[in-house]
Parts: sequence; C-alpha cells; structure tokens
Amino acid sequence: MKRTTKIAVSAIAMAMPVALVLSGCSSDGGDNGGGAGGDNTLTVWTWDPAFNIYAMQEAEKVYQKDNPDFTLEIVETPWDDLQTKLTTLAQSQELDELPDILLMQNNAFQKNLINYPDAFTDITDSGIDFSQFPQAVTDYSTLDGSHYGVPFDAGTAIGAYRTDVLAEAGYTIDDFTDITWSEFQTKAEDVLAKTGKPLLSGQAGSSDMIMMMLQSAGASLFDAEGNPTIADNSVLEKAIEVYTKLVKSGVFVEVNSWDEYISTFVNGSVGGLINGVWIVGSIQTADDQAGNWAVTNLPKLDGVSGATNYSANGGSSWVVTSNADVDLATDFLAKTFAGSTELYDTILPKAGAVANWIPAGDSDVYGQALDFFGGQAIFADVVAFGAEVPSNNTGVYYYEGRDAVSAAITKIIGGADLKSSLEEAQATVEFAMG
Amino acid sequence: MDRRLNLTGWAFLAPAAVLIVLVNFVPMIQAFILSLQSGRGTNLNFADPLWYNYQRLFGDEIFKQTLVNTFIYLIIQVPIMLILAMILANLLNNPNLKAKAFWRTAIFLPAAVSLVSYSLVFRTIFATDGFMNDFLALFSVPPVNWLGEPETARFVLILGLLWRWTGYNMIFFLAGLQNVDRSTLEAARIDGANAFQTFWRVTVPQLKPIILLTAILSTNGTLQLFDESWNLTKGGPAYASMSMSHYLYEVSFQRNPNFGYGAALSYVILILVAILAFIQLRVGDKRD
Repeated sequence: MKRTTKIAVSAIAMAMPVALVLSGCSSDGGDNGGGAGGDNTLTVWTWDPAFNIYAMQEAEKVYQKDNPDFTLEIVETPWDDLQTKLTTLAQSQELDELPDILLMQNNAFQKNLINYPDAFTDITDSGIDFSQFPQAVTDYSTLDGSHYGVPFDAGTAIGAYRTDVLAEAGYTIDDFTDITWSEFQTKAEDVLAKTGKPLLSGQAGSSDMIMMMLQSAGASLFDAEGNPTIADNSVLEKAIEVYTKLVKSGVFVEVNSWDEYISTFVNGSVGGLINGVWIVGSIQTADDQAGNWAVTNLPKLDGVSGATNYSANGGSSWVVTSNADVDLATDFLAKTFAGSTELYDTILPKAGAVANWIPAGDSDVYGQALDFFGGQAIFADVVAFGAEVPSNNTGVYYYEGRDAVSAAITKIIGGADLKSSLEEAQATVEFAMG
Repeated sequence: MDRRLNLTGWAFLAPAAVLIVLVNFVPMIQAFILSLQSGRGTNLNFADPLWYNYQRLFGDEIFKQTLVNTFIYLIIQVPIMLILAMILANLLNNPNLKAKAFWRTAIFLPAAVSLVSYSLVFRTIFATDGFMNDFLALFSVPPVNWLGEPETARFVLILGLLWRWTGYNMIFFLAGLQNVDRSTLEAARIDGANAFQTFWRVTVPQLKPIILLTAILSTNGTLQLFDESWNLTKGGPAYASMSMSHYLYEVSFQRNPNFGYGAALSYVILILVAILAFIQLRVGDKRD
C-alpha cells in the first residue's frame, strides 16, 4: 500500500510539469484559411468597415441571389496587418492559412507578386473580362501579361474645398479648377490671409502629396527598367519645391498622424484637401459642413511637360490567393466586382467606392446630385477625372522609394539642400535594392 | 532516495528545458543560417561571401542612424531611470512613510500598462493640438511640434520610457533594500553620517547586485526597443527616432521582405547585448 502511494506520488510528480506545460500550449487552431472548396464559403481579408468591407457585404448579397447557399466570411484586417500576415505566411510557406480572397493596395501589388508568386493565382483565363477595366489600373496587378487582380476602387485624386471658406475670401470653386500650383499658391495664401484657414493638410513625413504631383505629370521615382530616378529628377525637384513653398507659407499644415489629419478638415480648421476620392467617406462624417463642400481637379505643375490636372492616390484590387477555391472565387468576382452594375449602384453613394469597372460608369447613380456637396454630382466628375489620370510606374521598390523621398522632404523642409538630399535618397534606394 | 529526488528534479526541469531548446535555441540557429542567406521573399540563396549581410550593414546609413538613436536612448534613459528608481525605492522603504502601499502601487502601475496603449496616449498628449501644447499655452509658450522634430521626438520617447519602466525597476530595488541590514544604517547614523551619505556610502554599495541586474535588464530592453518607436513616432521624422528593432521589422515586413538581412540585424543586436552585459558584469560584479 505504502509503496503504491509512493509510486503514484512520483508518477504524478513526473507527469504534472508536462501537463502544466501542455495545457499552456493548447489553443484553438481556428480555421482562418480559405479552403479547397465545396462548402460554398469564401474567406476574405479586407480592412475598412465603411468602405471595402461594406462593398464585400453588398457583393455577397448580389451573388446570393443566384447562389442562395453562398456565404462570405469577412475578416477585418487592417492593411499593415494584412501585409505582415501575408509576408509571414508566404515566407514560412504556410500558404494554406491564406484566405480565398484578399484586398491588396495597388502600390504594393508588384512587390508582393514578384516576391511571393506562389501565394497568388493567375486569373487571366478565369472568365473575368479585364478589358472592361482601364489599363492604367490593371497594370498594377499584371505581371508578364498575366492578370492576378480584379481592380476594386479607383484612387482617383480630387481637390475638395469648403465653398463657404472660399466665398469668405471672394473665391468660388471655379477659381480652383484647372489651375496651376503657382496660381493655387497665390489664391491659397489669400484665403489664409482673409479667413485664417489653410487650404490643405497632410501627415508630416508622408510623401502622398509629392507622389500625386509626380503621377499627375506621368513621372515616377523609377524608370521603365525599375532603376531609381530620384536624383536629378526635374519633376520631383519641382514637386518638392512646390510642396516646400506650400508648407512654409502656411497654406499646407503638417500634422503627425492620420487621426490628426482627418480632424483638420472634420473640425474645420482646414478649408480643403487633396487626396484619393475614397477620402469623401471621411469628409461626409462632418455633418455640420453639409452643403459646403465642392469637388474639383488638382492644380498642375508649372513648366513641366506632360503635366495634367489629374492624378491618383491609393486604390486597391481583389486578389485570388493560391489557397482559394479558385472556381468559386473567380465566379464570385466575375459576377460582382467585374460584372454587376447593381453592386456598384449600391456601394457608390453609400461608400464612395468609385468603380474601375467601366460599364458601371454608365449607370444613373453616377449622375445623382449629392446634397453634401451642394448638389454637385461629384462621382460623374470623378469618373471623368479617372479617365485622364496618367499611368503610374510603381515597380517592386515603390515603398523604399517613397520612404526615402519622405525622409528627404523632411530634411529639405528642415533646411537641408534639395539636390544633395535627393542624392542621398537615391543612394538609400540603390542600397536597399542591392 | 537521492537518485529519486534527482529524477523528480529533472522531470520538473525537462519540459521547460525541451521547450526552451525548441522555441528558443532552434530558431536562433535557424535565424543564424538565415542571416547568411540573401534574396527577396522566398527566393533565398546562400550569400557569396557568406557574411555578405553583415558586411552590408557597414554601408547602411539607416542602420547607422538607428544604432545612434538606440544608443542615445540607452545612454540617457537607463542611468536616469535607475537613479530615479533607486531614490524612489529608498523613499518608499522609509518605515515612517504613510500610505506606503498606495505609493508603491501608484509608482508601479505604469509597468502594468500595455506598451502600445501607453504609446498611443503619449502620442495624443504630445500631438500638435494635444494636451501638452494646451498646457504650455497657459504660460504663453508657443506650440511645439513634439513628434515632428528629431530632438523633441527622442525626448518624448525617452520620457515615455522613463514613465513606463521606472516603477518596474523600483520594485527590484525595493526587494534589494529588504536585504540591507537596518543595523548598518543605524551604525552610519550614529557615526554622524547625514541622509545622503548613508544612502550613497552604505545603502548603494549593498544594492550593487541589484544595480547590476537592473542595468543588464534595461540595457537589453532598450537595445530591443520596438513598441515605442513604432507607435509613438513611426520612427520619424526621417528615421531620427527609429530603433534598431524597428528597422529590423521594416526590412523584413514593410519593404521588400529581406529576411536574411533582417536576421543579420537581429544578430548584431544580440552581439551588442552580449558585449554590454559582459562589460557590466566585469565592472559591476566583484564577487570573485
């Protein structure tokens, strides 16, 4: 008896630590991934409840009309996290944890496609008609002639201004349409002097504004072979010159975070903005400013050949991953984002999701006057702008280039020499590519 | 009997040891092998020469900048924090202090706050239209772009670190003070030493092992600093406040994934921690 107790005690003693440890390990191996299919369910990663998640939910409803059993499982994943998850899974070859469909920033498309080709599915011959999208947009998601993405939102850039602020200074929206940056500078300084309100704001250390200016002139940080062209890039120098002047004269307020940026115009401390059209969702949260906004095109760079009043910022595309139920996923996309006017008619007015799908542009919804924008049919205008946007050469090292230019701008505004700062940025990008 | 006790001991040690080997040492070796490879994404090959990634570090201006930043944090923040922690611990150890538990909790509480949330709170406080500028405005001080200028951004980051970690280190000193014999303090007082002399000549020498421990822990922590750099300033402006670990993350996840180079960076951090800990042990530990 005594002996057995002893053995039992030592057995427990031996087993306890192991049990303790193992209980720490157990976790729900939650099924995050997509799947080989058959269950009529697609998993989707996307990030904005007011925008692309909403659009996906509406797409689900559209597709359910013919496929009542169909369901979507949408996992809200902020872009930064999505990129990190994608990198981690692709790097560790755990591709079966990927969802069926994920949303990809157009600017990051080439980078991910080239680094992790085995995480994507070539959907060129899947029945989706890519000729119904502008080529400038499908270029983001095309590699060696194969298509890997269905364009979702256009990042067409708009200039949006508070008409009441402009009126106070004696201007109308027409005074800010089809102008150049030097004209903008003069008028914005005048508005600032008369109303005390700057017309623009942005995040310090972000180069969104510069990138929009570059694209508006069809220029980029890279040449056709993908080599950086940051040093001795006359368009870039011009853009930085314009930007520096805007900041120094006080008509462009630099803030430090995205929330601060949004609050500059929602709180009314700034009288306008220039950004991708997706920003209208944020503008419209300022109920007290209803009726006081108008939308127009961008100022263009002076003395630059090929300069236009049109550009883009952002924009994203749906990706079918290599882990997807490919037939279901492509059929779903073909019948919704690449084939349903009804879908775009719903998501446009609610979420400001301006379609890249050309047939959607004929819809009446685009012509609807919006009260928030003083009765202007802004989306019809935006679609017209979109057709004019020069195509953008992002390349694989787009983020490296943009970061280096951001750092250079910060230094230049701090008083450093423009040429040498850009040469430094060029060296940084060349180093990163090495 | 001895043997059975030994076996029981090993049984308790084994799972932890196996797990440490599996989840710590094996990945460390894998990371080292990875650091000898170059290429983007999954397209990795052994570099030529093998130490290419390490060689590359010497030409990397951003890496040098982040190294400088990290050492600025280390040199300024760690001594201030440890001295503050020691003084606070000494004050709280006073047997005549009232509401001792309250003070201890209050000073330790920041250490219970998540790194991300406190960073976000600091970011809000030091925003251009944040609390700090509103407060300064009361004294007619013009608003400061705290997170937008290199020096002030680093200052805010150091301030955050001090707030977050001083209480944590204070607990170590409080524990250490329990081992300081009261009679030595009384003896000093009888010999006519004032409060500062007692603290400096009697208490501090007896706290030496704790000072060593906290110094190594803090050095280690600061060299691996990530959350504050990421959440408070995003490393900005122009990399002026980015820490080494933050750069490592950028290289691996934000940019074209270069995991070989990232792994090399992590080994440099490891080597730096090892060297600094070794120096501190040499200087501080006089036990043999």
